[in-house]
Amino acid sequence: MKRALISVTTLALLAPASAFARGEFDPTTEFEQHDWIPIHLGPIDMSITKAVAYLMIASVLTILFGIFFMRSKVARMPGRRETIGELLYDVAQTQIAEQGLPSKAMSRWFPYVASLFLFILIVNLLGFIPLPLTGETWHGVPTWGIYAATSSISVTLALALLTFVFTHVEGVRWNGPVKYFKSWIPEAPKPLLALIVPLEILGQFMRLISLSVRLFANMLAGHILILTFLGLMFILESVVLAVAVVPVGIIFYLFEVIIVVGIQAFIFAALSAIYIGSAIEPEH
Amino acid sequence: MVGYILAQTTGDVTKAGKAIGLALGVGLGALGAGVGIGNIFGSMIQSVARQPELRGELQGIQWLGFALTEAVVFYGLLGSILAYVLV
Repeated sequence: MKRALISVTTLALLAPASAFARGEFDPTTEFEQHDWIPIHLGPIDMSITKAVAYLMIASVLTILFGIFFMRSKVARMPGRRETIGELLYDVAQTQIAEQGLPSKAMSRWFPYVASLFLFILIVNLLGFIPLPLTGETWHGVPTWGIYAATSSISVTLALALLTFVFTHVEGVRWNGPVKYFKSWIPEAPKPLLALIVPLEILGQFMRLISLSVRLFANMLAGHILILTFLGLMFILESVVLAVAVVPVGIIFYLFEVIIVVGIQAFIFAALSAIYIGSAIEPEH
Repeated sequence: MVGYILAQTTGDVTKAGKAIGLALGVGLGALGAGVGIGNIFGSMIQSVARQPELRGELQGIQWLGFALTEAVVFYGLLGSILAYVLV
C-alpha cells in the first residue's frame, strides 16, 4: 500500500507539466475595488467603488424593509407581512438586546442594536444575490456576479468602530470617567497588576479587531469558497468537472445563505449589545 | 527518494512553500475549530436532552459560541493569506 502510494506520487511528479495546463483564474480579483466615480477631498478618498454601491443599495433596502414590514397596520388576523416583521423584532429584542443591555439602557440602545442586525443581515444577503455590478462587461453586457460589501475590511471596521466608540462613551456617561476606567482594572495582587492592566487595555482594542475580522473573514471566505469551486473548471480547463463542482458550489451557497448570513448578523449585534451593556454596568 | 523528487522538481520552490504554509495554517485552524464546534453542539444536545424546556434560552448561547469558535478558522485563514501574500 505504502509502496503503491509512493510510486503513484512519483509518477504524478514525473508527469509532464503540460498535463496540468492551467487556465487563468484568480478569485481574489473579484474583491478588488476600482474607482467608478472618483471623489477625492484632499487626502480623503471618497470614491464610489463596488463596495460603496452595494452599501448604498443595502441602506435603501434596509429602510424600505423597515417601512414595509414594521409599519404595517396591526390587524386582528396578522398577515404574512406582519408576521415576518414581528419575528425579526422578536429576535432583535429577546435574543439580542435583552442578552446584553441592562433594562435602564434598553430604550436608548435597542434601536441601534436592532438596526445593526437588520443592516448587516441585508448587506450579507445582498452579497449572495447575483447583481450586474461586477464592473466588467462581456460584449457590452455587464456581467453578473456575487459580492458582499461586508467582505471588505473597511466596511466591517467602520461598523466595529461605531460600537467601540459608543461603548466607551456610554461607559463614561453612566459611570463617570474615573469609575469607568477603574472598572477595567480587575482585583488582583498588586505585583500582578502591572502585567494584567496592559492586557486588559489591549483586550479592549482586541474587541475591535475580533468584531470586524470575524464578519469580514466569514463573508470573504464564503465567497472565495464558492468562487474557487466553480473556478476549478477554469483552472483544470474541463467543462466535465461541472458535474461535480456545481452541486458542491450550490451546497456551500445554501450553507452560507441559510446559516452563516443570519448568524454573523446576529453575532455582531449581540456582541455589540453585550459590550455596550457591560460598559454601562461594569461588574466591579 | 526525497532527493529524487526534489531533483525532478522544476517549478518555483518558494511558491510551493507558500502554498504549503497556507494549507497548514488553514488546516490546523480548522482542526481546532472543528473540535470546538463539535464540543458546543455535543453539549447542546446533552443539555436539551436533560432539560428540553431550556432549548430556547440555550439556542442563543449555542449560536454565540458557535460563531466565536468558528471565527478561529478565519483568524488562521487571514494569517496564512497574509503570509502567502507578504512573504
